[in-house]
Amino acid sequence: MTTSTELVASVEIAHEARTERIPPGAADGAVLRVIPGDDVRVAALLGRDPQLARALAFGALSGGASLVALVGTHDGRTFVERGAFLRDAQPDLIVALATDRRDADGLVELAEALRFGCAQQRPLPHILVSADEAIRDRIAASCPANTIEALPDVRTPAGREALVARLRAVRRRAQGDVVLRDEALEAAARAMAVEAKADVVLLDVTGGATSVIHARPDGAVVGIHERLGVGAAADRVVARAGLDRVRRWIPRAVEAPALLERVFNRARWPDAIPASVLALSLEMALAREAIAHVLADAERAGMSLEAAWAAPLVVLTGRLAQLPRAAQSLIVAMDVFGATGPTLVSRAPDDALVAAGALAARGRVATLPTIDPIAIVAEMWPRRSAVVRITDSSGVIEERVARGSFVLVPTKGVVEIVMPGTTVRPRAEHLELGVVIDARGRPLSLPPRDAERIPTLARWNSALDVLPAEAR
Amino acid sequence: MPWKYWRWSADHPLPLGASERAAEGQAVRAGDIVAAGTTYGTPVRVAGARRLGVTSEDLTRVMRVPVGGDVERRTVIARTGRRFARAVSSPIAGRVIHQRADGDLYIAPVVGRWVVRSTLDGEVTRSDDACVTVEGSAWALQGVAAYGPDAIGEIALAVDGPTAELHPSRIDVRLRDRILIGGARATAESITRAHACGVAAVVAGAAPAGGLRVVYGEEATASGATTGPDAPTVLCLIGFGVAPLPREVFAPLVALVGARAAVHTASARLFVFAPENAGDFAQGAPSLALSDDWLGARPMEEHLSLAGVTRFASEIEADAVSTNDGPVPVANVLAFDAPRTPQS
Repeated sequence: MTTSTELVASVEIAHEARTERIPPGAADGAVLRVIPGDDVRVAALLGRDPQLARALAFGALSGGASLVALVGTHDGRTFVERGAFLRDAQPDLIVALATDRRDADGLVELAEALRFGCAQQRPLPHILVSADEAIRDRIAASCPANTIEALPDVRTPAGREALVARLRAVRRRAQGDVVLRDEALEAAARAMAVEAKADVVLLDVTGGATSVIHARPDGAVVGIHERLGVGAAADRVVARAGLDRVRRWIPRAVEAPALLERVFNRARWPDAIPASVLALSLEMALAREAIAHVLADAERAGMSLEAAWAAPLVVLTGRLAQLPRAAQSLIVAMDVFGATGPTLVSRAPDDALVAAGALAARGRVATLPTIDPIAIVAEMWPRRSAVVRITDSSGVIEERVARGSFVLVPTKGVVEIVMPGTTVRPRAEHLELGVVIDARGRPLSLPPRDAERIPTLARWNSALDVLPAEAR
Repeated sequence: MPWKYWRWSADHPLPLGASERAAEGQAVRAGDIVAAGTTYGTPVRVAGARRLGVTSEDLTRVMRVPVGGDVERRTVIARTGRRFARAVSSPIAGRVIHQRADGDLYIAPVVGRWVVRSTLDGEVTRSDDACVTVEGSAWALQGVAAYGPDAIGEIALAVDGPTAELHPSRIDVRLRDRILIGGARATAESITRAHACGVAAVVAGAAPAGGLRVVYGEEATASGATTGPDAPTVLCLIGFGVAPLPREVFAPLVALVGARAAVHTASARLFVFAPENAGDFAQGAPSLALSDDWLGARPMEEHLSLAGVTRFASEIEADAVSTNDGPVPVANVLAFDAPRTPQS
């Protein structure tokens, strides 16, 4: 049963082990729960069209599911290998995709391998079929015990939406009347974009997941949600990125084995707090790699990020927004999210934005909480020295920028900047830090040797006063 | 409480190709074979119903070798008619592994054999081609992660105390088939030496994460890793790095030396088959504190008191508890038996 949002008195947001209530205190009425959702394991049976795998990956990322097995009609595996592969994957849901009638025999072969490998799995996974009706019937005949559902072509937006809706339904599973965190964030991003009449990118990093959401002022939203995080999923970030890619962001020499122990301990210690500067640096490093891999996966799945890079508003939420200093949240986002134009970066450190998004996801008109603008980020890669003009309540500051420079210009009151090569003039009422001019170029390159890497990171960190004195 | 005498359930997932399984309701002991089967090579597809001129539903009726049955080369698998007979025979020696919906058959050569052993004394409650589940009573200790195959053996102590590290020099072939109890840390060297000496499993407060990745591959995560039978078995009770065992955990292990036990990797549990009245093991769960830099954990045996909101070196402000080593964030203190997986 769904509770009417008009009756909802508070929203409860589940984190790794704890739960936050918005507004805090005892609930005086119905409570709407926001949960991360179960990890849904999806296996795909694919026809010969190479676009199918990308389309499915896009759908799985949008639905927050894990793609655990891709089996193709022309993948060269034997029948037994396919059966064993699918059995070991233990899928919660199977998606069978074929756009070509010539794939019928191949897809039926894959369905037979599925029955061979997973016939005794409990519960039996449902099979979503996006294919010709005749192919669907043949798959149903091959897997008579599995429930077969029709799915529109996942290469189309309608098909992807249908897949996402189905995946989210499975992720909610027997949880009753709940809103998924990624649904709430998408609704919040949509409301912010409509209110600001501008593109908004929302970056959310929690212990167990990372989301990158792009919302347009016309209400269109594309979200990518992956099980990579700074807590329970920290070990998955290391498994994906490799330890060296995480280690490179830590501004001191750290032995790889000891770093891995920290990551593993954090992964099995729900909601642990980084009490030391080194642990905090590790959390920031994990957040960078989590975002970087979500963006890379989105591009691999065929999602165009051009519009997202150019979004004038970036909002940070989750653990990323809860780092003790605003500069810490900012530098993590800047290091991996390469905006192509001037951007106003804000953060929502508490869960109020998620709570508003949860209500918006249920159709209630969202009253967005105030979020803290941190900085206007001017990313540039000038051919020769250029001048950025910053106007605030103290007057006009002209900052000469060369390639490689990375500076923070603290500001007071209303801020406006004029950059060469663009007519966009970002403006903000008040900024916690000021204007950050980033001419480090993209993609960021860090020297591999500690002797060069650590001074480079130290220079960037000191430019924004990122870390407490201990780590300098 | 860390130690609990209870009726536990242990799932034993089966690989493809099960040929024998313990029946539901059958009594088994830890170490007994509950399933056996074969691994298959590249299969051959053989026309079945089409060749015989029958429907796929009728094929089962005329099959002389059922799915799962062994065949030699040219063995007649199915046959119809008398005077003008039609038959399907096997082109290879192996096993009939699958019947397709269209009536064709797959026959695969047998290239290996496997067995799955029970990790509990008890009764089989589920038995099918996917899994055999055994339920039974035992003392159990819940760990945080386990690696390798299930293991069965007698408990043996290989350290002098709960804070000691398991040294390779303490391990030799006399400990073959034992489950070794390490203290605060089982090093990678001690794990590999124990495996070489035929030790069934190593149980310790922590193991080095880097060493686990060396032994179990890059895919090993903090949640554990289940592998084939040729790998060592390691159970981490508290975490990774260094984690001295609390008195409430270590003392019963000392008392249970020589008892039959099993490590069930999938659930990361140590089962010990001793009577319920074997000792006063069921005590309150001790508190564990994660170190500030997350490099290990330790039991908190001192009296805990709240220190209020504290600002830590990372500048994070959070509720803390006072300890002899300074304040520790409340979030970094967990009971030994607290859930270690996030809510979904």
